[in-house]
Amino acid sequence: MISKDEIRHLGWLSRLELTESELDRYAAQIDEIVTYFDKLDTISLNGSEPARSIKKVSELRNDKIHMFEGNPLKFSKNRKDGFVKGPRIV
Amino acid sequence: MPNHLYRLTADEVASGIKNGDFSAQEYISQILERIEKIDVKIKAFIAVDKQGAVEKARSIDKRIRDGDRTGRLSGVAVGIKDNICTKDLKTTCASKMLEGYIPPYDATVIKKLKESDAIIVGKLNLDEFAMGSTTEFSNYGPTRNPWNINYVAGGSSGGSAASVAALECAISLGSDTGGSVRCPASFCSVVGLKPTYGCVSRSGLISYSNSLEQIGSIGKTVCDVEMIMNTIAGTDENDSTTKATRPITTATTPNTVSLDRIPKYSRHQKKRNIRVGLVKELIEGAEPAVSKCIYSAVDLFEGSDCKCEDTSMQSIQYALAAYYTIAMAEASSNLARYDNIRYGFDFSPEGYEWNTYFAKVRNNFGEEVKRRIIIGSYVLSAGYYGKYYLKAQKAREMIKQEITSLFEMYDVLIAPTMPILPFKFGEKIKDPLTMYQIDIDTVVANLAGVPAISIPVGFSDCLPVGMQIMANEMEEQTLFDVASTFERILDIRKSPEI
Amino acid sequence: MVEVKIGLEIHCQLTGLQSKLFCSCQCDYRGEEPNTNICPICLGLPGTLPLLNQKAVEFASMISLALGCRIPDKVMFYRKNYFYLDLPKNFQITQYNAYGITSMGVEGKVDYGVKSTKIRRLQLEEDPGRLIYENTSFYTLIDYNRAGVTLVEIVTEPDFTEPKDVRRFLNKIISILEHLGVCETSLDGSVRCDANVSLEGGKKVEIKNVGSFGDVEKALSYEITRQKTMSVRDIEIRSETRHWDDARKITKQSRVKEEEEDYRYFPEPDIPTVVLGKEFLSSLKGRMPELPDERKIRFLREYKLSDHVSQVLIDNKELADFFESTVKIYPSSPNEIANWIVSDLLGFIDDSKKEGGSLFSGLKIEAKHMAELVGMIDQNIINRNIAKMILSQITKTGEMPSYVLDKMNTSIIDSKAIISEAIESIFKSEKSAVRDAKQNPNAANFLLGKVMQLTRGRADPKIALNLIKTKLAIME
Repeated sequence: MISKDEIRHLGWLSRLELTESELDRYAAQIDEIVTYFDKLDTISLNGSEPARSIKKVSELRNDKIHMFEGNPLKFSKNRKDGFVKGPRIV
Repeated sequence: MPNHLYRLTADEVASGIKNGDFSAQEYISQILERIEKIDVKIKAFIAVDKQGAVEKARSIDKRIRDGDRTGRLSGVAVGIKDNICTKDLKTTCASKMLEGYIPPYDATVIKKLKESDAIIVGKLNLDEFAMGSTTEFSNYGPTRNPWNINYVAGGSSGGSAASVAALECAISLGSDTGGSVRCPASFCSVVGLKPTYGCVSRSGLISYSNSLEQIGSIGKTVCDVEMIMNTIAGTDENDSTTKATRPITTATTPNTVSLDRIPKYSRHQKKRNIRVGLVKELIEGAEPAVSKCIYSAVDLFEGSDCKCEDTSMQSIQYALAAYYTIAMAEASSNLARYDNIRYGFDFSPEGYEWNTYFAKVRNNFGEEVKRRIIIGSYVLSAGYYGKYYLKAQKAREMIKQEITSLFEMYDVLIAPTMPILPFKFGEKIKDPLTMYQIDIDTVVANLAGVPAISIPVGFSDCLPVGMQIMANEMEEQTLFDVASTFERILDIRKSPEI
Repeated sequence: MVEVKIGLEIHCQLTGLQSKLFCSCQCDYRGEEPNTNICPICLGLPGTLPLLNQKAVEFASMISLALGCRIPDKVMFYRKNYFYLDLPKNFQITQYNAYGITSMGVEGKVDYGVKSTKIRRLQLEEDPGRLIYENTSFYTLIDYNRAGVTLVEIVTEPDFTEPKDVRRFLNKIISILEHLGVCETSLDGSVRCDANVSLEGGKKVEIKNVGSFGDVEKALSYEITRQKTMSVRDIEIRSETRHWDDARKITKQSRVKEEEEDYRYFPEPDIPTVVLGKEFLSSLKGRMPELPDERKIRFLREYKLSDHVSQVLIDNKELADFFESTVKIYPSSPNEIANWIVSDLLGFIDDSKKEGGSLFSGLKIEAKHMAELVGMIDQNIINRNIAKMILSQITKTGEMPSYVLDKMNTSIIDSKAIISEAIESIFKSEKSAVRDAKQNPNAANFLLGKVMQLTRGRADPKIALNLIKTKLAIME
């Protein structure tokens, strides 16, 4: 049973501020979904590692400079003297 | 000037323009006219780039007049799902969070399309951030099924499939994380391919679930999908997860193995003695109307040079749980970057404390997205990581191993694409779990990383039914061969009257 | 004796690389206009994918080897998920060892002097951007130029018991990094150190934001005193993060409340597992530059230097390099050369330079100068006092010693540097006269005479007398 508090906390971890009605709605739905995931319980974690794609060191990107042609912040609105403006820290 | 150029396949357009039967400008103006006329009913497009399309058409015509070479897809009208970055063209993921976002770079697949002289006509509607199976979760409203506008077009690449079915473009690109290309392709009666994981570059695809998604292609015919694949497939230095195709030996160098870095698919290669496995769990789990169509198609196919046999996949029981665990986990992390500071919508951060600001802007995600982010954070959180995420990866490994051993016995596996017929708007939207369960047929291919194609196999009550064909890693050629055989035999091709 | 436990977390930028860790932007961001050293990847724009830098893996492996770590066959990258303004993706790509050993190194050991410390782990990760707090009540300014620069994080076991030892250890680390050529440690912010301190099994307090290594020792001393004081008064020491306030020289509670974060680590799906393999590691071992410990042994053996002198040279790679360049030109007297560097030349190096910046910046002396100078001493052309004067001149003008000597012998010496040097010598050897100077007004003249003698009558007497009088006045 996932509580509303747990969901509120998960929301905080993801910077999602949920309203009371959202919390009410989500709690039941999320609980149902996560309970469905319990199907995985019977799987044993012993044995082989899940496969991942592999690369050798020699196949990695060469350490060379190549500057991006263009301005990646071209359409960003909040700027000051070249900096990006963000909200205050305190 | 020939009429109804918008009815042509990509293949027909490219050769028609190269042969001088009609000009790119003539073609594109008919396409744009068509879009203007009917997209109000379908709503497949989020944005149409009329100016860009016309300019590109003009330049192609000029080059042809000058006797210069033009690309393989000369003049072909292509629609792009709006989660694929197009330089200087708004890319929104159907979300308020990217309302004003204009990428400063092209996705690799876009670069390749441009190089081959395809004409990008616009960006297509999707479920927000590709999370959904009906395109009902778009910030711009849903896309309607061209076969019956009261029914969903499928998702999340609803716009991509509907636009091709409605003859608004010849081919389109979508993305497939758990069925998002095949599902709408099936619901809209067009061909949709999800390639092998790593076959097509993801650079420029706005991430929902990186280890599961691939950019897929949609067309009216298998041949058209083959054409796009020949353009967009291949390793990319901008995507470390792309892989070379299997090693091939050539006649001139029989003892050396070369890795085919850009695969080339040929429509002339025809396999004999195809061994087909019919996945019991998936076919039996489908609605009778659906399984009836599948079996009829298979019966016809059996006549021509193949062997069909029932087979079973035990690990399918874990597929949905594994898929959603992994997808939501990755999504929760991939979507963290949307804090409206570097890109987003108009809302100044001045005066706000940063946590408050983040929470306020991120409130603009749609409900489904928020739900998935929360569940994703949950399955990754301390204490639950082993229970959910690790086990899901293990389940994935089991599915992969089982399907690989099946591919030792069979060339292809066949199943329905969707277990149900297309349904009306609002039918499944209230209960997320019910919605998730319609992905049961498609998630297997994403989990295993194998290619899968959906082709139209018939209608039931005037609603399209799609059949799914899966093959082993990097065996897209096999898929094209089998799919085109079905296509020839079934001869379904028709367009909705719009 | 209350038992103190100190552990360190060092972040070192691999400034020796050309490009950033996951993209081809320039690694060197210092001095660039804000947000001009960026690309879609390090900015975390939607749709971008990280591209791992080959040389970063090599450099990190070299550091791992140099610190005596065990390097796994395969390494992986993980995402550390948290929100902050300097993190473009709101997660950091780093390494993590909870599910098997997949970071660049574990279980190492570093000797420093007679003591040693164990290294818990070593990992690669990306640097975040930089925040500027201008008009703090309204907004924060963000510069992403540094985002994506390669960091190596080195975590020690809490083996240290004294701030002094921490200082020695850090010097050793600097020396190793310099000798490997992976990091120019004199660059501002290229090596940062956080520490955690606890008393007698009590709660751990983390100390962040320590600007320079010199401050680390101070911060630790302060924190230990603070905790001991609290403990004596029976006040509970809370597990927390504190920031070093350089202005007030104290540690204070973090203003930003660091909520207990759940970082939800999981493997980075966009970066494949990297296989290092035996071949790669053995090839790397073969190509490793000479490490400080090896170099010191060689100095003792080859040049017959004393332990102390060798250590001073090794502790500053620039000095060791200068020494060997000099010996290359003039191989006969390595000991003499070493002593000159360690005793006299070091005296010319600004104290401030010892913290950051090249030791030799502002000084015009090169190996060839030192070589000639020592040669002249060996041949009895000059004595040590004259040599000191000449050295002083060289550091300012870059003139060759023979040239300076010539000028001294043939013309009036008006260089304040040379004259001051001579005065220094005389003050040392004529201590009683210096003491007398207060009562005896002639003492200054007496001293002047000695200086003229020393400079063979070449010094400008007016300048000399002024300098002597000034020096006497200061001494009062």
